[in-house]
Amino acid sequence: MKDSFIESLESRGLTRRAFLAFCGSIAAAIGIEGVTGIDVAEAIEENALIGTNGGRGEGKLAPVVWMELGSCTGCTESFAQADDPDPATLILEYIALNYSETLSAAAGYSLEESREQTIKAFPGKYVLVVEGAVMTRWNGDALRIAGEATCAPGESPLLDVCKNAAAVIAAGSCAVDGGFCAAEPNPGGACGIQKYMADNGVNTPVVNLPTCPCNPATLVAVIVQYLLLGTLPQLNEYNMPEVYYGETIHDNCQRRGHFENGEFVYEFGSEEEAKGYCLYAMGCKGPQTKANCGTIRWNRRVSWCVDAGAPCIGCASGDPRVTQRNWIDFNAPFLNRMKDIHIGSLRVQPTPVALTITGVLAAALIVHGIGMKAAGRTEGAGGPDWEPVREYDKKHGITHGSAAAATSEPAEKAAAEVSEGGEQ
Amino acid sequence: MAEIAHYKEMHPLAFRITHWVNLVAMILLILSGIEIHYPVLGGVMGLARGLHIFCGIVLVVNCIARIVLAFVIKSSPMGGTRETVTDFWNWLPQKYNRHQLGAWIKYYLFIKKDHPLSAKLGVPQKLSYLLIGILILFMGYTGFCLWDVTMNVPFFAGFTFAVGGLMKLRIIHYFMMYIFIWFTMIHGYLALIDGMALPRLMFFGKETGGLTYSLETWNIDGYDDLGAAEKIEIVNKEDEQAAATA
Ligand code: HEM
Ligand code: HEM
Ligand code: SF4
Ligand code: SF4
Repeated sequence: MKDSFIESLESRGLTRRAFLAFCGSIAAAIGIEGVTGIDVAEAIEENALIGTNGGRGEGKLAPVVWMELGSCTGCTESFAQADDPDPATLILEYIALNYSETLSAAAGYSLEESREQTIKAFPGKYVLVVEGAVMTRWNGDALRIAGEATCAPGESPLLDVCKNAAAVIAAGSCAVDGGFCAAEPNPGGACGIQKYMADNGVNTPVVNLPTCPCNPATLVAVIVQYLLLGTLPQLNEYNMPEVYYGETIHDNCQRRGHFENGEFVYEFGSEEEAKGYCLYAMGCKGPQTKANCGTIRWNRRVSWCVDAGAPCIGCASGDPRVTQRNWIDFNAPFLNRMKDIHIGSLRVQPTPVALTITGVLAAALIVHGIGMKAAGRTEGAGGPDWEPVREYDKKHGITHGSAAAATSEPAEKAAAEVSEGGEQ
Repeated sequence: MAEIAHYKEMHPLAFRITHWVNLVAMILLILSGIEIHYPVLGGVMGLARGLHIFCGIVLVVNCIARIVLAFVIKSSPMGGTRETVTDFWNWLPQKYNRHQLGAWIKYYLFIKKDHPLSAKLGVPQKLSYLLIGILILFMGYTGFCLWDVTMNVPFFAGFTFAVGGLMKLRIIHYFMMYIFIWFTMIHGYLALIDGMALPRLMFFGKETGGLTYSLETWNIDGYDDLGAAEKIEIVNKEDEQAAATA
């Protein structure tokens, strides 16, 4: 690595050691054989802009444009809010974060200009990171950036940026499936970026990185892999990288032992909670949610939801294709085992519905049984008479077999034999 | 009046065994499934999951075995006769009860008074048993979609994707448990309401005498008391002899 690059890092409070350690963890996260921390470091250096950041490269491969849409800025915060410099943030800046309302020093016209220049200078090369939901309502007026209806259907500044990007990374659940903004009744017409692009005929590849907020380490790993190898990670059906979203939270959960032993928290503030038991009975969605939170952890590996004592609320489990399958509608109420099912405007848990039907059925069977007894069809009452001939046959004048003509009422004949022979 | 005769040929041993397996596996699945849904009992989740998946696999294998055996084993097409045909014929619409669905429904709704002439399985029963076979296989399929060991196999993951995720799938799997419970309630009710002869045969292979049925006339043609009258005669004769010698 060139000294000027290291100096530039150090001048911003990041030691060479910390930088390399971070690159190592990114390499591990990428999980491709032969890709080491050194490769990652070099890739970052190569792409760090000459002059401004002391790097060798020209940011040639991929400047990053970061569009913030309907969001709480939590994903940016998760990235940038640190009391000492966060490697992830710095690296993103180094790689050339050309446009981000929150992180860029510039603001107003000069910032908007920078976005337009990036699109012009690197058509088909830059990476677009989307934070927040696409707000489509009122012809896109639900969200206006720099005086424009950013997310209008059909034609919009957002679609222009999407069309010319090499890849779109949906960072955080709102960008993936609409998240909180899209939860019912979804007044702003929010949806994820994949759905928005699909609806408007744009087919730039999408990488969905859900969780609320987006995990910075995962995001940087994807960007670095793209810089380094020019490839995107292997995606699953939801366009989420398989390495990060292939196994359930439950599979890698530190409380899993308690689950298997049947040791559960049934109430917050209880002794069981103090003992760190499994949160399944508190509605933990870990078994239904595929993400890497338990292994990659959060806030620079300090903790994560279940470690902090909260059940997983399934923030990575939305379906990017269908707006009303955003993760909120998909999992609420969070502290129940299952989501509510929707019957018209009614919201109920599956169990009361099922138990009601069971009760009605039991009552119906009892009533029917009483009827059967009253009609003398039960064993004690002697059993029912058999019909002498099938109704269908009678109507159509059909008889069966050679004996049919001879014994017209065989059942009655047999019955007569029975009473002669005596019941036994 | 009287019941039809219940012969072993109606429910041969192999099918009585698959039925026992169905019953036991289903009870264990429902109990362990409820525990998995919400751990009402502390300390047994590992056991419940192990048992649940074991019984689930047993149930699926049993169901497939039952279907295969239907092509191998013979059973009588109707109660009251010892004549048999290969079992699967009895699962198709049979000539003996092809037009009897309406009669059965009217009978159970008390609109029709007489017991419909039928075949081994009444029409509603036949439909519900066919359905339950399909449901067992589907239940197994959704179970494997949920099981962490198999959930990422494309054959299962594809379905999870189609329904829209694991949460939906769990609700489907959970709700289907109730469909089994409802089936079993109705099925158990219908099996028991006509008297103990049928369950005695299905569970213990005990025959009960009754009306006999002719496959030629498609109708009741007599009465078989399983030799009870002769036995009584023998006993009476023995009694007479005993009285004579005394
Ligand atoms: C036939 C094969 C079956 C297999 C392989 C299977 C497998 C599974 C699996 C893997 C789970 C999730 C357990 C976990 O995440 O820890 C589950 C849950 C469950 N299963 Fe099954 N199952 C089968 C059949 C059944 C049947 C027949 C019933 C009931 C009649 C049933 C009722 C349930 C219930 C109630 C749950 C809990 C669902 C929830 O609350 O999320 N399963 N099953
Ligand atoms: C409440 C407990 C149960 C009772 C009393 C019971 C009783 C019976 C009886 C008497 C029959 C013969 C019916 C006939 O000839 O029309 C039968 C057949 C059958 N039962 Fe059950 N049963 C019970 C539970 C179950 C369960 C839990 C299942 C599976 C989910 C099941 C599946 C079947 C099937 C598929 C048949 C068709 C017969 C065959 O395989 O040849 N039963 N049952
Ligand atoms: S806390 Fe949640 S994810 Fe962890 S073991 Fe319990 S149910 Fe599974
Ligand atoms: S543990 Fe669950 S709720 Fe927490 S961030 Fe991960 S997926 Fe979201």
